[in-house]
Amino acid sequence: MSEAGEGRVATVPAPSARRRKGLGPRQLLLAIGLAMVAVLGVVMIFGPQLAPYSPSATSLDALAPPSAQHWLGTDLIGRDVLSRLIVGGRTTLVITVAAVGLALAAGLVLGLWSGFVGGLTDQIVMRGLDIVFAFPVFLLAITVVAALGPTIPNLIMTIAIVYTPILARVVRGPVLSVKRWDHVEAARSVGVSEFWIMVRHVLPLVISPILVETSLTLANTIFTVTALSFLGLGPPPPDPNWGGMLAEARQFMELAPWTVIAPGAAIVFASLTFIMLANGLRDRLDVGGRQ
Amino acid sequence: MRRMILVRLALTLPILFGVSIAAFVLMRALPGDFAVAAAGTTSVSPEALAAIRANLGLDQPVWVQYLAWLQGAMTGDLGTSFVTKRPVVGEILPRLAVTAELTLIAATMALLMGAVTGLASARLRGSVDWVVRLYNGFVLAVPNFVVATLIVLLAGLYFPQIRLFNYVPFFTDPLENLTSLILPAFSLSLAVSVTISENTRAAVLEVAGQDYVMVARAKGLGPGKVLRSYLIRNALTPVITITGLQVATLLGGSILIETIFAIPGMGQYLYDSITSRDYPAIQAIVLVTAIIVILVNVAVDIAYARADARVEL
Repeated sequence: MSEAGEGRVATVPAPSARRRKGLGPRQLLLAIGLAMVAVLGVVMIFGPQLAPYSPSATSLDALAPPSAQHWLGTDLIGRDVLSRLIVGGRTTLVITVAAVGLALAAGLVLGLWSGFVGGLTDQIVMRGLDIVFAFPVFLLAITVVAALGPTIPNLIMTIAIVYTPILARVVRGPVLSVKRWDHVEAARSVGVSEFWIMVRHVLPLVISPILVETSLTLANTIFTVTALSFLGLGPPPPDPNWGGMLAEARQFMELAPWTVIAPGAAIVFASLTFIMLANGLRDRLDVGGRQ
Repeated sequence: MRRMILVRLALTLPILFGVSIAAFVLMRALPGDFAVAAAGTTSVSPEALAAIRANLGLDQPVWVQYLAWLQGAMTGDLGTSFVTKRPVVGEILPRLAVTAELTLIAATMALLMGAVTGLASARLRGSVDWVVRLYNGFVLAVPNFVVATLIVLLAGLYFPQIRLFNYVPFFTDPLENLTSLILPAFSLSLAVSVTISENTRAAVLEVAGQDYVMVARAKGLGPGKVLRSYLIRNALTPVITITGLQVATLLGGSILIETIFAIPGMGQYLYDSITSRDYPAIQAIVLVTAIIVILVNVAVDIAYARADARVEL
């Protein structure tokens, strides 16, 4: 009895130690987020190989409910919803990831440069960004895409432009304080070039908030891409995409609810993935809340 | 105070100026011929195109065109619609009123939902906190057009008595008008309510840790009195600011929501103008929206400074 009691006492770690070691709910969040990212990654890379049918193959079995042959049913002209979801997911995700990748690259350059050089350059860049911030993101996106024409490269370019200011501002903030730290001064005093200080001594210290914000931007971009496609400004047909599928299915959704629920759920899954990733990363990397 | 407001307004002038340039350049830098769009057809004779160019001032240098447009915009002339051939201002104003109403209802709903869930989350803690945060995380992931589509689907399947796409103008029947805007405003407000909820939670937790709250409790005030007189009052001031800052999100979202629910607001007008390549209309909507966002932000700043004497603008 006493042995068991002692054993129990000994195995209970101090609260602080438990918080550090254990897989707390927040750590779990990151793990689930990463697992969901893996699912999206597989869809993005192997999309067409995974789809049981061709996304554009029609059949006479129109608006069929979910069954063993068609797990998510078929749409108005008898196409397999699951196959369209997988192939369309690839298109949607490729646009999202490419756009955010470009925005991140541009935001890093602008934010690092503006924050690090400071002075008039910083003022000019930041006032320019203030002007861009006055336009709602979606208003800007829809106007530019409509005028350029909705093709995949145009969508990527537009969304990258729209999100660059947001990421640039996130990069600039921490750069402003990190550039005054002693190790930067030390590097400068031993003759390290300004460019190398920026890349080697400032960038690594500001990377955590950037990762969190990039993840949130991915979630927002999923919204922007699917919303544009929903309004008919997505990748041109016949290639499927989630927003377009949702819009197409609206007309007959009361007869075949699965045709709207499937793409709707896919959109929610993808944004949930990046929101969970952002929250998990924020906790793991100890980044303060951003509101 | 008055001086402070004037300074704050003066500081927005350069931004307003920049926004007008951005709106102008956005439309002119785009590929495609302005004159062809104005003619409304691609089969136009070169002479007719030249006439349209001269008429619209497109043969002038770009900066002359900009100044002419800016001068017009300042005197309330935003150009003539390519489609209706009527002044754009006359087209925008009634639609702006509709969007303003929709946005206002949505903001109120978001503020109510967000403040209540955030307050509950911060005060009750434990499982309530957990449920609210889980709910917030999930709702944030559901885009407003998906919410709207699901609402239309559910109403169609289970509540056929709800008529969804019949917008009623306010002056025809105020009550019907409000009823017809409830579901659209709800779809628009959900995501914004999450931001408000999370900020309320953080603000209440911060205020609850302040010394004056402890003093109030120590001198024997009941929890209800502390909540009303100390927590809500102090925590909600920043939250109202956050709600104001969400106006850009709401205006962007109204493009989708108005299109889905067939509400004749500015968002739907933008969508229609984009479809019909009505450049003067698009340009005007972009400008008006940006100005609204800027002015609301200024108003929120000023209101905040009035409510909290410690804040300097």
